[in-house]
Amino acid sequence: MPESPILKVSDLKVTFATRQGPLRAVDGLSFEVAPKEVVGIVGESGSGKSVSMYSMLGLVRDANVSITGSVKFNGREILGLSDREMQPIRGGEIGMIFQDPMTALTPVYTVGWQIIEQLRAHTTMTKAQARERAIELLAEVGIPDPRTRVDNYPHEFSGGMRQRVVIAMALSCNPKLLIADEPTTALDVTTQAQILDLMSKLQETYNSSIVIITHDMGVIAEMAHRVVVMYAGRPAEIGDEIDVVRQPRHPYTWGLLGAVPRVESRNDRLATIPGNAVSPLDIPEGCAFADRCEYRMDICTKRPQLQGDHGHLDACWLTDEQRVSIRSKATP
Amino acid sequence: MSDDILLKATDVVKTFSTKSMKFGRPNLSTAVNGVSLEIRRGETLGIVGESGCGKSTLARCLVQLLPTTSGSVVFEGTDISKLSRRGLRPLRKKMQLVFQDPYASLNPRRTVGDIVAEPLRINKFGTESVIQERVRELFTTVGLDVNSLTRYPHEFSGGQRQRIGIARALALNPSLVVADEPVSALDVSVQAQVLNLMADLQDKFNLTYLFIAHDLGVVRHVSDRVGVMYLGEIVEMGDADELYDRPMHPYTDALLSVVPELNDTDAPRRERVILNGDVPDPSDRPSGCSFHPRCPLATAKCKEEKPTLVEIRPGRTVACHYPKNLG
Repeated sequence: MPESPILKVSDLKVTFATRQGPLRAVDGLSFEVAPKEVVGIVGESGSGKSVSMYSMLGLVRDANVSITGSVKFNGREILGLSDREMQPIRGGEIGMIFQDPMTALTPVYTVGWQIIEQLRAHTTMTKAQARERAIELLAEVGIPDPRTRVDNYPHEFSGGMRQRVVIAMALSCNPKLLIADEPTTALDVTTQAQILDLMSKLQETYNSSIVIITHDMGVIAEMAHRVVVMYAGRPAEIGDEIDVVRQPRHPYTWGLLGAVPRVESRNDRLATIPGNAVSPLDIPEGCAFADRCEYRMDICTKRPQLQGDHGHLDACWLTDEQRVSIRSKATP
Repeated sequence: MSDDILLKATDVVKTFSTKSMKFGRPNLSTAVNGVSLEIRRGETLGIVGESGCGKSTLARCLVQLLPTTSGSVVFEGTDISKLSRRGLRPLRKKMQLVFQDPYASLNPRRTVGDIVAEPLRINKFGTESVIQERVRELFTTVGLDVNSLTRYPHEFSGGQRQRIGIARALALNPSLVVADEPVSALDVSVQAQVLNLMADLQDKFNLTYLFIAHDLGVVRHVSDRVGVMYLGEIVEMGDADELYDRPMHPYTDALLSVVPELNDTDAPRRERVILNGDVPDPSDRPSGCSFHPRCPLATAKCKEEKPTLVEIRPGRTVACHYPKNLG
């Protein structure tokens, strides 16, 4: 795409100093988000998907953390900005949706109060204007009777409705970029459908870009244009959604896709990835996935770089011929 | 598979009384509202539904961890809903549970070997050396290292802990294993390992599973037959593939249509039906069909008349005035 990216992350590394040694939570993450694009970051728990987003936004405040690399938002480097400099960006130009809407909202204030506070912090609206806008936003995210509901407390809403409130807050300042961290994981499938639907609609109206973090490949397939598959704090594979889902290149992605039990068909046996996720305290120098990989070779003790063409990149030493022969055996 | 019935529940009702009072009367919330089902020996019966639909409460009533308010549960020929706690005790070992949260269901202060040995000790399985031998055998069966018997639960990963929970459930050779969301706390690759293990164990020991989950893909994968629950009632039941391929109840249809799927084939997708609103409060049940306020097909009849679960074909039941896919 010729347009310059709204977000460009290069070689992001997040390391925590612990008593057991350095804990590499994110270890060289690079990706871009184009305007109006939805990028999905998928990985299992502990793969560094959330911490990479939080550290980008300066929300990781551990004294023992070291964050290196570069994060350019709209062409401006935001890594290392002071809190004062970040404040107009967080909640203003970048909106956030968290996994658990109960913890994202404070229980002691009404939802209206919380939306108004955010509007007043980022715009020059008066209290009355902000209140009107809050009611408008609640209506927009599909909360029935918003004029009454604006004065309700978070506990008076159901889980799905609370997530709608969080989305209304995230959208309140017309953000250019929305970061959604597992936005539907705490919700039931019918509610999840409502929320995903709402997010797609709003993305069209507001023209914002979205980074959606999830462990659910199905949600990725539903929402994302591009996908970043993370393993052990590193990107294993990056590409267009359709390419990654239909022609996955990395053995980890093969395992991840094969392990999902499907609604539309039934296999006798699910593919599994042997062993457990590697501990971030103990990531090997070479390929992080090598210990669990069926196709490990001698060269895997060296770290593979992300490479590929047509925007479909992966970090694996297998040659194209090897992949073709492995995949033709796997899918008869 | 024989049609040998291991467990038969008839019209099971479970009400809870909540603290808040409605005009001086206790506020009754009906979590399970008249469920009848049969579990055949050697099969996996899946129960699927959204949170709060009463699936866990139903499971606990079926094994009498919760007393039922009314209705009967016949397990291996005995009506266990009428038994005293003492009378139940000899049957308990035949009905074992695997819980959702492998972090909460294992005592953090005891070694995993002790945890698995406990049901054996309580039920006087044999001398300590016989018990130790059995524990080692169980660890091998579920794919755990026998050298880790003296370690504590926190030293294991989520998937390994779930294996410990399964080993404990199998210790006394139960005839029924009730698994309540056994894989929902696990990552997808580990989930697949545990599901495969459960399938292997079923083949090896001819186990019967009652498998409760909210994940529709997981339920299809493991189940021979599936029941769909909504607001404490079974709205549809049938052979797993049949039910998934040709859902009859509009709720099942909507539920299946909104599961995010990998679009890795060119097969046409189901038409998405997005339901409005939320699941109603079980203490304030809608009139007529419980699903009618959210149902895209609801008519005046649905508001007034409650549909009963009728058998459309042998083994295929649905509670709806206007079932789909009848042909």
